[in-house]
Amino acid sequence: MFYLRSLIFLLVFLLIFSCNQKEKKQDSSISSTESITLTHHASSFEIQDFGNYYIIEIKTPWPDSDKGFKYLLVREGVEVPGSENFDEVLQIPVKTIAVTSTTHIPSLEMLGVENALIGFPNPDFISSEKTRKRIKEGKIKDFGKNEDINTEILIELSPDVLVGFGMDGTNPSFPLIRKSGIPVLYNADWTETSPLGKAEWIKFFGVLFDKTEEAEEIFNDIVTQYNEAKALALQSKTKPTVISGAMYRDIWYVPQGNSWGARFIEDAHGDYLWKDSPGTGSLALNLEQVIEKGLEAEFWIGPGQFTSFSELKDASASYSKFEAFQNKNIFTYNLRKGEKGGSVYFELAPNRPDLVLKDMIKILHPELLEDYEPYFFDKLR
Amino acid sequence: MEKTKSYKTAFALLILALIITFLLNISLGSVSIPLNEIFSILTGNGASKKTWEHIILDYRVPKTIVAVMAGGGLAVSGLLMQTLFRNPLAGPFVLGISSGASLGVAFLILGASAIGGVFGNLLMNQWNIVLAAGLGSFLVLLAVLAASFKIRDTMTILIIGLMFGSVTTAIVSVLSYFSDAEQLQQYVFWSFGSLGNQSREGVGILFICLLTGLILSIFSSKSLNSLLLGENYARSMGLHIKRTTVIIILATSILAGSITAFAGPIAFVGLAVPHLVRQVFKTSDHFILMPAVLLSGSILMLICDTLAQLPFSTQTLPINAITSLVGAPVVIWLLVRKRKLFF
Repeated sequence: MFYLRSLIFLLVFLLIFSCNQKEKKQDSSISSTESITLTHHASSFEIQDFGNYYIIEIKTPWPDSDKGFKYLLVREGVEVPGSENFDEVLQIPVKTIAVTSTTHIPSLEMLGVENALIGFPNPDFISSEKTRKRIKEGKIKDFGKNEDINTEILIELSPDVLVGFGMDGTNPSFPLIRKSGIPVLYNADWTETSPLGKAEWIKFFGVLFDKTEEAEEIFNDIVTQYNEAKALALQSKTKPTVISGAMYRDIWYVPQGNSWGARFIEDAHGDYLWKDSPGTGSLALNLEQVIEKGLEAEFWIGPGQFTSFSELKDASASYSKFEAFQNKNIFTYNLRKGEKGGSVYFELAPNRPDLVLKDMIKILHPELLEDYEPYFFDKLR
Repeated sequence: MEKTKSYKTAFALLILALIITFLLNISLGSVSIPLNEIFSILTGNGASKKTWEHIILDYRVPKTIVAVMAGGGLAVSGLLMQTLFRNPLAGPFVLGISSGASLGVAFLILGASAIGGVFGNLLMNQWNIVLAAGLGSFLVLLAVLAASFKIRDTMTILIIGLMFGSVTTAIVSVLSYFSDAEQLQQYVFWSFGSLGNQSREGVGILFICLLTGLILSIFSSKSLNSLLLGENYARSMGLHIKRTTVIIILATSILAGSITAFAGPIAFVGLAVPHLVRQVFKTSDHFILMPAVLLSGSILMLICDTLAQLPFSTQTLPINAITSLVGAPVVIWLLVRKRKLFF
């Protein structure tokens, strides 16, 4: 009898929950009208320009997601039929915004709309001087942590839009924030693996502030710079070997061949030793595998959190056996920090792949860029 | 006569304290809202700022109600377990209910990278965590119930519950070992417990579960009183031991399982509140203890949540830590003062 009761309990439980799963959104009828696609490099999102309104489709809000999001962004006074079919409908340009990742900050600054930013979770992470000044003036309110947003403070702040991100769709604060009338848009710049695709996310903010032309111009300039640098790298006759990563406990994590970081080495005409590993994340290797493959590598770029040769040696004597260590050819992005310790590289690099590539070329082929000052990378101390 | 009167006063005081802490909990939070505005919102007259209405009605009121339910429910299930096992160290989670919930959530959050997309195709939203935790604790419940049908001795059930707990903890460790930092962080945040961000539907479901659990508990009060005298004595009084055991385990699992599903594992309240109440009321009569424990659990949880919100600041503290930080010194103080555990 008790089994039966438990079973009924389970069934009721399941029923209640399954009722709450929302039906997947139908494709809207209005997308059949004439439109221009504004995105060309990114694979995680797409922008359609319909003249008076835009549709942003987030295809992979998080890795392996089975659903995307469709947002309708409308200029003031424009009526769009079928708007109930979208996950969010927004009036543009937005006047105030709250963002959740430091990678969103450069886009706002490059578009010249940094004054619209009124909230950020733990602003200490932000490095940019322009925005730091606004934080000091008290114009940017702290609203907790991304995984644990202080719902009260965010509702009180009432930005026109919250640009969030999620490792999956389970952030418990988002439903309440939406309920209070604040639209929540997912930004998936972090799922993008191509350097130019990541940088193209400036167009996402371009639409929000109705500055698509400015965004297009800025992005095209970056593309030109990037391609010029890539062509320059090809002039070099050498293709030096490169290793990356460092050990955590006894596991050495190296970026996989299709990851964002590995693609820069390729484009800078370097020979990344794990370029053939297919994934976009990182490989977990043991020390023996790395020694076998990488002991004689000429360069070592991005050795985890380490910033000096002595730190490396203290952490493990094995590090000092590498040729790149003995020739002092180890470079890190960890020495450039913001005022409160935030990483300049993590904040700005996704938006400026042209600078990252030039830095790489300066490291691997210094003769090609003699007068160039690296922006992110330094030799270990 | 004398005693009944003093119980009446005590209950009146408890109810008064519940009302005060309830209102205090609603009025204090990260955003400071004037008292008259809060009163006006609660009486349905709106506020001068629309955002305040959202904060109070959509965030704080559900959170306060969940705090009342979680505190009371956990405390009652702690009392049930302590009496059933005649062990002052027992609490709502001795049967492995929170470990089961943790396992469900760990499979959901950490499982993707460790076992490769078992849940990859699942539509991820905030309900999935509740569902995973609920299913996890439900499976542990089924296992414990199956064991309790076979086994006569309650002490053996207790040990089996602990074993289930160890196994699930071990699986969670293995999953954690193979997970990314971001996923681990998300899991850790869940394990801190959180009363906030509940939807109205969620509060409704939790209420139904709690009501079921509480009704089962109240019906067991008489059996619990007999159990205190020892199983043999209880049997001689005509108590059906096996049936009573199953009802009590079921009640505890529904109470603790549903609370853990919605608010995460919240420690300590279930263990400490029955002791606090016994020290103050000096009785083992469950007809008195049960309502007193229910009220005191709610009051303690409301106080802890108010403190955890760190009123007027951006930061909040995890509720799971606060319950122990606040509760433990109180219990120690009471025990030292009375010098003897009333059990």
